[in-house]
Formats: sequence, C-alpha cells, structure tokens
Amino acid sequence: MLIIERMIIDILLNFTSIEQLNTFMAQPRNVAIIVGALVAIAAALPGVFLLLRKMALTSDAISHTVLLGIVVAFMIMVGLGANPDLNSPLLLIGAAAAGVVTVMLTEAIYRSGLVKADAALGLAFPFLFALAIILISHYVDNVHLDEDAVLVGEIGVAYANINVHCYEQCDSITITPDDARAEFGRRCTNCSAGGLSPRDPEAEFETYCINCGTHTAAEAWRERLIDSPPVQVRWPRAITTMGLIALVNIIFITLFYKELKLVSFDEALAGALGFRPTVLHYTLMILVSLTAVAAFDAVGSILVVAFFIIPVATAYLLTDRLSLIIILSPIFGIAGVYWGYDLARGYFWGLPLDGVLQWLDSIIELNGYTTWNTSISAAMVLMLAAIFVVVWMMSPRYGLIATIINRRLRRLQFEDQMLLVHLYNHLGGEREAEELALETLHQHLQWPRMKLERVLARVRLRQLAKIQHGQVYITQAGIEAVRNFAEQNLPVEHQEQIIRAVGD
Amino acid sequence: MQYKSHHVWWVIAIMALIFLIFIPLSIALGVRYDYTLTTVAVGGALLGAISGMLGTFTVLRKESLMGDALSHAALPGIAIAFLIAGRQLGWLLVGAGIAGWIGAQGIRAITNTTRIKQDAAMGIVLTTFFALGLTFLSFIQQLPDASQAGLDQFIFGQAAAIVRRDVELIIIVGTFALLGILFFWKEFKLITFDREFAGANGYPVQLLDLLLGTLIVVAIVLGLQLAGVILMVGMLIAPAVAARQWTHHLGQMTILSMMFGAFSGASGAVISGIDTGLPTGPIIITVAFTLVFISLLFAPERGLLWTWWRQLQDKRRFAAINVLIDIYRHACQHDDPHYPAPEGYLRALRGPIAKTGLYYLHKAGLIRSVGKDKWALTDSGEAAAIHEDRNRLLWALYRQHSEALSLPSIREEREIDIRHCLPEDAVSQLEVLANELTDKQNLES
Repeated sequence: MLIIERMIIDILLNFTSIEQLNTFMAQPRNVAIIVGALVAIAAALPGVFLLLRKMALTSDAISHTVLLGIVVAFMIMVGLGANPDLNSPLLLIGAAAAGVVTVMLTEAIYRSGLVKADAALGLAFPFLFALAIILISHYVDNVHLDEDAVLVGEIGVAYANINVHCYEQCDSITITPDDARAEFGRRCTNCSAGGLSPRDPEAEFETYCINCGTHTAAEAWRERLIDSPPVQVRWPRAITTMGLIALVNIIFITLFYKELKLVSFDEALAGALGFRPTVLHYTLMILVSLTAVAAFDAVGSILVVAFFIIPVATAYLLTDRLSLIIILSPIFGIAGVYWGYDLARGYFWGLPLDGVLQWLDSIIELNGYTTWNTSISAAMVLMLAAIFVVVWMMSPRYGLIATIINRRLRRLQFEDQMLLVHLYNHLGGEREAEELALETLHQHLQWPRMKLERVLARVRLRQLAKIQHGQVYITQAGIEAVRNFAEQNLPVEHQEQIIRAVGD
Repeated sequence: MQYKSHHVWWVIAIMALIFLIFIPLSIALGVRYDYTLTTVAVGGALLGAISGMLGTFTVLRKESLMGDALSHAALPGIAIAFLIAGRQLGWLLVGAGIAGWIGAQGIRAITNTTRIKQDAAMGIVLTTFFALGLTFLSFIQQLPDASQAGLDQFIFGQAAAIVRRDVELIIIVGTFALLGILFFWKEFKLITFDREFAGANGYPVQLLDLLLGTLIVVAIVLGLQLAGVILMVGMLIAPAVAARQWTHHLGQMTILSMMFGAFSGASGAVISGIDTGLPTGPIIITVAFTLVFISLLFAPERGLLWTWWRQLQDKRRFAAINVLIDIYRHACQHDDPHYPAPEGYLRALRGPIAKTGLYYLHKAGLIRSVGKDKWALTDSGEAAAIHEDRNRLLWALYRQHSEALSLPSIREEREIDIRHCLPEDAVSQLEVLANELTDKQNLES
C-alpha cells in the first residue's frame, strides 16, 4: 500500500512541488472531492451492469451485508491476537466474502422454488445485516464501527487520515552523551525515596542527558536538533484505497467489456456461446462488495447505493449505447460530488445558504435552525438526485417533457387521422349527406362538439379537408394522407384492403 | 395422510399454544414483567401482527422490496415532523406516512414515464429520501435539546422507547388498518391475484392500489420504531413468507402471518428489553428468519423436507412397480405367473433401480425369493401386477384416444392409478376399449 502511494506521489512530483502538493491535500474540500470522485467512478462502472441486469437493489443488499464481513474479519483479527486495524486487507477479503454470501444466500432461497426473487433478496440481507448488528453490539466495543459511520460516512475528514511520506532529512537521529547537541540536566536521586526536598543538604544529585536516545526526523526538528525540517508529503489514505478500487473496476470493465455486454443483454446466448455467466456474475458481485466496503468510510453504507444507481440511471435516460452510458455515468457521479460538497458547506453556486436560512427565519419561525450544516455525503447524493431529476425532465428522447409532448402529438395526429378516415369512408357513400354534415359530424365520431371544431380547424389548416354547403369533404391531399397512414400503420392484409379501397 | 387446508388451523393453534408457553417460560427464565417490559412486549406483538397482516399482500404482489424503499423514504418525513412538532409519536407517524407515500408515488412516476425498471427506481427513491432525511437529522443534531436522541430509534429500532401512549396509538391505527383490510377483503384479494380481471369487472383498481399501498405505508411507519429503517423490510415480509409455506388460502395465510409477526415482535422486544445492549430490530429479524427457515424446511406439501421425502417415495414406488411388471411379463412369456425371474436379468433390464425395487417388493410381500437370486411373484404380487398392467394399458389407451373420446385432459403419470385421476365414466370408456383390445389379442393367439 505504502509503496503504491509512494509511486503515485513520485509521479505527481514530476508536475508539482512538495509544498504545493501538501497545501493542496491539506484542504478538506480538495480531498473530499477527489475521494468522492473516485467513489463515483468506482461505483458507476459495476453499477451500469447492475442496472442492465435489473439487479440494482442487489447493491443495496451487498452494501449492508459487507458490514457482516467486516465484523467477522474484525473478530478473527482480535481472536488471532492481532491488533485490530480497520485498514487491514483482511477486511476487504471479509467484505468480498460477505457480498458473495449475500448473493448465494439469495439465490439459494430463490432456487428452493418456495419464495419469489424479490422476497428472497428481502429476506437474505436483513438477516445478514441483523447478524452483523448483533455481533457489533455484543462483541465489538469501542471501535470505529459505530452506527453513524455505517450510515453517513466521514468524507469531510478524509483529509486528516493520512500517511506521511518523507523525502529529505528523513533519517532518525541518535544522540549520545558525547554528541555536541546533547543537553544535560541534574536530578535528585534519593528525593522521592527518602521523602527529601531537593533543597535538603542530604539530597544527592546526578547529571543525566536530557535528549539522549533516538528521535524520528519530525521529533528532531521539533527539538531543533537538525537545521531544516524533514521534507514530507502528507497523503490522504482514502485516495489510495478508492483509487485502487476504481482502477480495478476500470480494468475489469475494459477487459471483459464484450462478455459483460453479452451476459447483460442475452444471458442464454452467452451460455450457449460457451461463456460462463456465473463466473462473471460472481466477479461482478465481488467488485460491488469491494467498492462498497472501500466507500464505507467515505460515504456510508446506504448512500453508496446512490453512487451505484443514480448516475447510471441518469445516463440511461440519455442514450442507448452501452459505451456512452459507461462514460457518462462516472461524469454525472463526479458532477454530483463536486456540487454536493459546495451544497453541504453552504455555498451553492455562490449562494450563501446560511443567509437564505436567516432570511427564512425572519419570515417564518425556524426555531433557531439558522446554521447550514449538513452531512457532506448526503448532500452529494441529493445533488446526484437533482441531476437525475433534471435529466429526467429534459432528456430529448426519454425525458418527461419529451414524453409528454410526444404523447400529445401522437394523440393529435390520431384525432386527425380518425376524422380523415371517417370523411374518406363516407365520401360518395349512401348516407354521405347525413354522415358528413357539419352539424352532426361530432355525433358520428362520438366527440364533444368543441373537440371536433379543434380537429377540423387543424385539418383544414393543412388543407386536408374543406367545408362546402354545410358538408365536410376530404380533399385530394387528405386522401393521400389517409393512404400514407394506412400503409404505415396497418398489417399487410389490411393495407391491401385499404389500398384497394382507396384505389377504387 | 393428506395435508388439507383445514389442518392449518392446527398450526395456528400450536402457535397460540407456543405463545401461552412463552410467557411462563420467560418468567421461569428470570424475566420480570414489570410495567415497562409489559408495555414493550404488547407493543412489539401488536406491531408485529400489523406488519404480518400487510406483509402478506406485499409478498403476494411481488413488491417485497417496496418495504425496503418505503421505510427509507419515511425518514425525511419523520425528521420534518420532529422539526415542526417535536417528539410526538403521532405527528412523527403522520410525517413518515406522508413521506413514504410520496416516495411510493415517486417510484411509480419513474417506472411509468421512463424505461427505468422498478428495482432501479426504488434504489433512486430510497437513497435520495434517505439522504434528505440525514440532511434534516443533521440540522436537528445542532439543537441543544437532548430529546433528539429519540430519533435514533427510527434508524435501528428501539422497543424500549415504546410507552403506554404509543401502544394506545398503535392499537387505534392498527384497528383502522384491520378494519380496512376486512372491509375491502374481497377487493384486495382480487387486485392481488388478478388485476386484469378486477379491472374488467369494473373495480376501481387504481384506487384500491392506492388504498392498499397506503395501508402498507402505515404498517411500515408503525413498525419503524421497532425494527428500524434498515431491517423493516425483513419484519414486513419474513412472517408472510413463513406463513405462505403452510397454506394456499389467503385468509389462513394472513392469520398465520400475523401470529408469526406478533411472535417475532414480542420476543424481539422482550429479549432486547432484558439486555439493553441489543437493538430490537436485529433480534426480531433473527427470530422471524428462524421462523422462515423452519417453515421452508418443515412445512407440509411445500417444505423442502416434505418434497425430498415425496421424491424419495416416488422413486421407490417407481422402481417397485417397474420391477413388478418386469417380473410379471417375464413370467407371462413362460406361461406361468409364478415363474421366477433371475435377478441378473432384472438388473440388466432396469439398471440400478432394480435392487431398490426388489427390496421394497419383497418387503411388501409381493415377491418371494426362489433359490439363488431368483424372484417369483406371490399370489398378492400376481394380483398387483395384473392390476398395474391393466392400469398401464388404460393409460396407453388414454394417450391414444383421449381426444377422440373427448376425455378431460390431465397430466400423464403412469405410476398412479388412472381411476384416481379420471372421472368414473371416462375410466369405463377406457375399460371398454381395453376389453376389446384384449379380446382381439386372445383371438389372435
């Protein structure tokens, strides 16, 4: 882990200086946004395939049950006498195992044939999560695994959780009494044993070295034993963890893009072609678990689900192409992270939200809730949702507005066609005078009179029908329109009938 | 013995008995039912029963995960209600109900107007509402007012916080829910099992959906303080899934589900009431899941053990009947019904199941061992073999002529007596055909 960090830092130092890097990483905002962006990338990639395979809520289930993996791994570490460490790779293994166990338990319940798929998931994960909570509350005390961390995460303090990498003046310094820098003091040897005051004449003294021993570079600088401070890079751990997970996910998706695509859209075909959908399926589940557990610290176990689902759903509303969805989803995720941090910190697009609250307080009583203070990860999720809603409304093809407009256009078109077909069918027929009379036409179509007038106005504007002597007639252009409509919309045999009829 | 639907009443009675034993047993184990614990236990039982009742419909409508989504969606409502009215259970429930209801409509809007499927829609609504709830909660946490501590119970469930007034409220709301279910029983049953039929018969399906959905939201919201947001889905569906295994009748399933729910709720509340270190929700879920596990394993007709036993029986019967017929035909070829067949011949004919078949035929006294590894039919064996042979002939005729004779169409299972499967007149028609056939064969020979 440390070696990888060192490599990343070495690469970065080609572009920037150590001071700049330290200043940058000391800013909570920068670190939170970088970590959040990495979470967004890492989660969106497997999320695409979860959504396509209609398994979106599996991510919810897994993100809960990784807790069981963590707790069990934790207990094993304690049982082995190791120092419990929340950054141990054992936790990752436990989490991956828990994810796989969740999926297997769900499938086992489902395969018994006694329980439907949705209920199987709804049984499996609460049970595993309940086990985790019972274990935590009974066996694991005073650890970071408290309930708030499970829910919310602490992306805001990611900047404080660092590894220090030293670049210059790194050696620890050993001071011996012979050293020029050694300082000496005097202390009473028999004062405490004999109950004497140091001023007492019987007190005996010895000389001893105050600063002898081994000092780390940082301590040595604090004691001014060396002339210049050690040159260190303070690197937030979360960036490395999340970065690695994101990288693993990117590699997985790139390598198995074709297979994943095949399995997501046609599992039977994939099986017939000799792929092993099961292996791919479980690998995907392991990646979801690893992502969930790595994001655990940053955004909490429930909100990480939002990073799996919402950006992908947003991209899914915009395009049909899988490659585009894969590219767009992380971008929406990152946008949500970026604006979400500002929202949480009270300056949203330059709008001071504290001021808004105080203004609201002056209008309606807010009972003192005038300081803007929210959880950062929750605000990020809210921004993800806001982006989703905007796209949902505005998407040119699948958006709400486009859908409403399309539906309305189709209805208008249908009304026009109804009228034209009616006019056409009765043209030259026995009861033409009665059926086409302007006064009674709406009754034959069983429309309100107003509706008929609207439709008729539209049709006449397009010169598809005309009114003569209180009768409505279809024009030549109208007959053409009916013919086109018949060709486009009816099954072949009906088309032939109508074309024949029109031809007559 | 056949498992009939009225036997479920025995299961229900046994559950009631377990309830009765549970109280003295827990007293014997050193539980002291003081005022608080009684309140908590009664509250837990009531909430469990309400969740069980409405969970039945959720499970049957294949909307189990809706429980998960809506319980999370209720959080912002709880928080806003707290901001406005303070810690009063009634208002918190109203807030939760409104928020959950809006969440449900949000899910419907997304699935109806886009191509996003229900699972992803639930995920979107769930996380968004939960994030909204957390945002409001972090506002509440700024307050010096200590009473905000009570809100944590909604996330993880804390039965110990249930007081007398809460129980009264639960009783009132629960009674309304029960009356609603009873009053619209027929309608709810119809939209659960056959929406199209209900719609075609002029029932207001949309309205009934909304009503049932609202009642489910009410159950979730009430249950939250017991099981908590995350585990509520388990509390809603586990009793129903367990109950489903025991019966095919909606009414029985609902009653059983209520009892399972009440049992899990009460025992969870009592256990966590004794050891306050344990949150209530997880205990309830563990108890409920144990019930599900027992039901899946042991339920008659559907349960895994039952299925396994039945398959074993079928396999044995299949082997026995086939071997019996083999011996009979072998004997017929030698014109002596008691002519012994060598075991090696039967094994070559039937494969490994021959040994199983011989074992069970011998045990039933249908064959006897004659000399070394040779088996002959006994008198009763001969009768049974003739009967089986005839049965096969009838089945074969049924397959050939069922359409011509317009007999009822049933699944063909040659090992079962056809007289149990077809009505009498149909069988007698086949018998006539069979007699004609055997007469013709006799003439030819």
